[in-house]
Parts: sequence; structure tokens; C-alpha cells
Amino acid sequence: MNLNSKFGLICFLSFKGLKQHIFGSLLAAFSISLAGGLFLSTLKIQKQTQTSFNNASGGFDAVLGARGSKLQLVLNALFHLDASPGNLSWEQYELIKNTPGVKEAYPIAVGDNYLGYRLVGTDPQLFYKHEWKEGEKYKLRSGRVFSEMAKEALVGSFVAERLNLKIGDRFQPYHGLNFKEDTQHEDVYVVVGLLEATGTPSDKVIWIPIKGIQLMEGHDAEMAQSVSAVLLSLKGAAGFNLELKYNRRGNQATLAWPVAASLASFFEKMNWFRGVLQVIAYIIACVGILMVASTMRSSMNERKRDFAILRSLGASRWVVTGVILGHALIISLLGALGSLLIMQGIALVTQQIIVEQTGVLLGGMSLQLVDLWVFTGVLVTGSLGGLWSAVSAYRSDLASNLQPTS
Amino acid sequence: MVHLATKRTEKSDSFVEVKELKKSFSLKHGKNLSVINVPSFCLGAGDQLAIFGGSGSGKSTFLNLLAGILTADFGSIRIGNIDISALSEADRDVVRSKFMGYVFQSFHLLQGCTALENILVTMSVGGSPNKEKARDLLSRVGMSEKENFLPAQLSMGQQQRVGIARALANEPKLILADEPTGSLDPENSKQSIELLKSLSSERECSLIVVSHDRSVVDRFDSSMKWEEINQADMANNES
Repeated sequence: MNLNSKFGLICFLSFKGLKQHIFGSLLAAFSISLAGGLFLSTLKIQKQTQTSFNNASGGFDAVLGARGSKLQLVLNALFHLDASPGNLSWEQYELIKNTPGVKEAYPIAVGDNYLGYRLVGTDPQLFYKHEWKEGEKYKLRSGRVFSEMAKEALVGSFVAERLNLKIGDRFQPYHGLNFKEDTQHEDVYVVVGLLEATGTPSDKVIWIPIKGIQLMEGHDAEMAQSVSAVLLSLKGAAGFNLELKYNRRGNQATLAWPVAASLASFFEKMNWFRGVLQVIAYIIACVGILMVASTMRSSMNERKRDFAILRSLGASRWVVTGVILGHALIISLLGALGSLLIMQGIALVTQQIIVEQTGVLLGGMSLQLVDLWVFTGVLVTGSLGGLWSAVSAYRSDLASNLQPTS
Repeated sequence: MVHLATKRTEKSDSFVEVKELKKSFSLKHGKNLSVINVPSFCLGAGDQLAIFGGSGSGKSTFLNLLAGILTADFGSIRIGNIDISALSEADRDVVRSKFMGYVFQSFHLLQGCTALENILVTMSVGGSPNKEKARDLLSRVGMSEKENFLPAQLSMGQQQRVGIARALANEPKLILADEPTGSLDPENSKQSIELLKSLSSERECSLIVVSHDRSVVDRFDSSMKWEEINQADMANNES
């Protein structure tokens, strides 16, 4: 290291201090990492969960279902969570399909599972025509889409991986949305296609023809003429008109439109939880600041003698202050990098849990502008922790730290 | 920029000249403890002087005043052509780094730095680090083979040798040694003092050693009792 300049000397002594007090320094860096990482993860996961859920609506604007809760309708029809609020008649499906302003209408029927993964009956056109994301149609990893009248299945990527299903595999579905061993149907389905991953809940579904659910052995006859919900893509002002027709004037069905608004109501209900998370995040940040300051302080106390020696050699107060700040900056830099690593670690684990539970892949967990702010914040915070000690060292009495012997 | 005249000036024959120097410390109960009262003290350029005195009598405080580490309540300290007592703290730092070397009883080496790095850091503080010169200094004190050792890996005697080399790092004009043998056994004590004397003499720099050890003082041609220099009556201090 170049000792020819004061800056070089400060850097050299800062690194020496880090090396000499490696345990304390790493502990301080880890404390900073933990505080920064938790703070960042709490903020990002909360924000990205809402964004990712909004983006995971499969490209549909609205859902028509039985009279009831819009949120339940959206969760059941698009996120394949929760129970179906009831059924619509096939005529209602035909009616909305032919309503002006309705661009696409796909019926879905639910009520069966295979080893805990939902079977969703639908129109095979969904996989040929519908864009689940702007400009993105469903893609097949292998095989083909099921035929309308055959006992065939198209398997979502997550299910295929978890159950190790391959083209040609046969299975017998189970009745109900939850897996119970003694509820197996006699119908045998054959896997004819595997979907590529989309990062949406459709990855967690086994798709079959809608007739399959309607006519499944053991289902009551009424089900043969009904659907669980209709997934809709709309154009123009159709949403307003349908909202008026179904929700305000009618009492037969419920239209969840727009989907994001229904989800927003879900997240609004979770506001108290978000508030708690934010409070926790701020508490963690405050604890982090105190931790940094106290760790820096204790590390600096250990080096008081060194600083007194430097001063006795003729080093100015500014050089000593620079060494303390340099040491604090290195610790803070390590802490800030650690924050990003811890955030990425927490994000990976959270992503995995949310994918397994909902099929929704959290996006936006890669490095973003907010990370830069938190990174800078951690650096500044850590340096402030060091500044406290630096000021204290700057003002300390040189002679007393050298302990005169006579 | 501080410049130090190394030759005796026309004004005075002394290189170090102290006049009417007073220093006292406040005690907890509001009284003042007068520690230093030096009416006059002189040392010529290149001269070597041992000051003999008991522990707790203010010798270290006197050296700290000469080095500009402490400031006097009254009086003046002139080193060469520089009036230390009139300088700002920053300027005193510069004088200390460029023109003075300090040897401590407990060595005060930077524990995280090797022997060589201790010398280089001192040179860097003085503004001119030079690895070859640093190695040469370590060689002069017989520590060449230990240049990469940390202080904790060195014996007391070896640490003091590095301390002496460090004091000479910036080619000082004045070396202040505060009980330099206080932590050493008789053999190492003898070697350290001889080293300090010979290297100071070789480099024509003034040397002031304070010690409570008679055998150390006896090794110098010139010595003084601290009581002859300092007239502060610590036993009967005024409030």
C-alpha cells in the first residue's frame, strides 16, 4: 500500500485496524448486514408481493362467478386458492361470451385434484389464443394441448416437476380441492402436454377439458351444465357496463372487475400486517444504527492507545479522525454488501415459499434503485457510527492516553 | 511550513531553550497541582543529557511539554529557531513529526503493524516514507531479521530497539526518551542506552533521557537532577 500520501496512510492504517480487530469488525459488519438486509427485504417483499400478484392475473381483466365475494372469486378462479363461491349456468357463460365488448371468455370448472394439485377444466382455446401476459401466449415444453372431448391433461410446469409427470403418464383424479386418499375417481386421464413455466398460478394446475370436470364420475348431474367461473378479457368500456349489469342491477352473478381492484382490497385488508412489518423494519433499522454506533465505539475504544501513539508521532487530529472514519467506512461497506446478500437470501427463500403456496413468482427481487438507496443509507449510517467515535478521538487528550510514567 | 534551524543561533547558543515554564493540573476538589516550574533550561545542538528524578515528579510532563504534546500555562520553549509554545496544535504536530523522535518506557509500538511497518508509518507521518531507509534503521538496531514480526512476537528488548529505530525514522534533531529502560532487564537496558547514545551522536541530534534509574544516568557524560531543573514544590502545592 502506498504510504506516500496522507490518504494512503489513512487507508493503510484503516485496513490494519480492520485486520487487528477482525472479530469485532466482522461482528459489526454482520450486525449492519442483518439490520440492512432485514430492512430491505421487509420493504421489497411487501411491495413486490402486491405487484407480482397484480401481474399474475393471467392476462384477464375480469372474472364472472356466482353471487358472492369478488376477492374469493379472483382467488379461486385466477390464483387457484380458496373454495369456489358457487357455480354459474352454462347459459350465463354463453350470454357473457356473446356480450359486445367481451374479447375473450373462457369457462373454468374446479372441484377435483390430483395429489393435492388442482384440476381445472377449461376450453383448450385458452392455450391457443389467450395472451397470459402482453405478447405472451402459453408455450408447450412438450406434447400438445388436450382435446375438447378426451380424458387428456395438460400439466403446469410446477406440478410436472413436483409430481414428475411425463407425456403418456396416466392418473386418476381425486374428488375435492384437497387431497384425500379415499376420494379417488374412476376416470383415468393421460398426460398429453407439459407447459413451460410462466411464473403465474397456472403453473400449479393440471388443465383438463371442461367436460372432464363436468362429467367426472361421481359428480352430480347439475354440474354437467354449470361452470365455476368465466375468465374475461374486455375491450373499451365493457367493464363499466358489465359492472352495472351484474353487480348493481343484477343479483344472479358477481363480476370481479378490475381484477387489480379486487386484489387491492385483499392487500388493504392486510394493511395492519403491512403496518406491523413496517414498524418492525424501522425498529430493526434503529437497532441497526445503535448497533453500528456501539460496535464502532467499542472497536475504537480498543484502539485508543494506537491513536495516541500516532498523535505522539506527529499525526494530526485529522489523520486519526480519517483512520477511524476509514475503518468505519470499510466495516459499513462490508455491512452494506452483506445487506444485499442477506436480502437476496431472504428473497430466494420467500420466493420459493410463495411459489409453492400460490404459484406466483415474485419479480423485482433483483437489484434495483431502492437497493442503492439502502446501500448508501447503510454506508452513511455506519460512517455516522464511526463519526461519533472519531469526534470523541479528535477531542480526546493525547497525553492521558499515553499514560506518563513519572 | 515549519523550518528548523539546526545550528546554534546568534540569539542563543542553545538548541533547546526553556524559560519560566509553568504547568499545573486541576484536581477534583478545585485545587491546582503545580507540576512544572522550570525557570531556565538549555541544551546545545547535538548534546546529550540525562535527567535523574523520582517517579511522579513531573519528568514525563516536562518531555510532553517539550514535544508539544502538552501546552504550558506560562513560559516559552524554543527548539532551534522555533518557539513551540507559540505554535498552534497543528504546527506542533508538524514539528514533532519532522524534527523530534520520542522513545517511551512501554515502547508504544502500533500492535497491528510489523516492525518495518512501524518505521514506515512514522516516516509517512513525517512525509517521506522510504523502505530502504527503514530497513537500514532496523539493521542498525540489529532487527533486520525481525522486520516482519509484530510487536507481540518480539521480546521487550527487541521492541525497544524498534522503538529507538522509530524515533530516528524522520532524522530528528531532538530525541526525547522517557524512561526508555523502565521495562528492560539490565543487559537490554545497557544495550538500549548505548544504541540510543551512539545513533544520536552519529546523526548529530540532541538527546534528552529522563530516568529514575541511577545506572542509566551514569552512562551519560552530562546529567542533571530533576530537582535542579524543576522548582515546583509538589509536596506543598498552593490551592
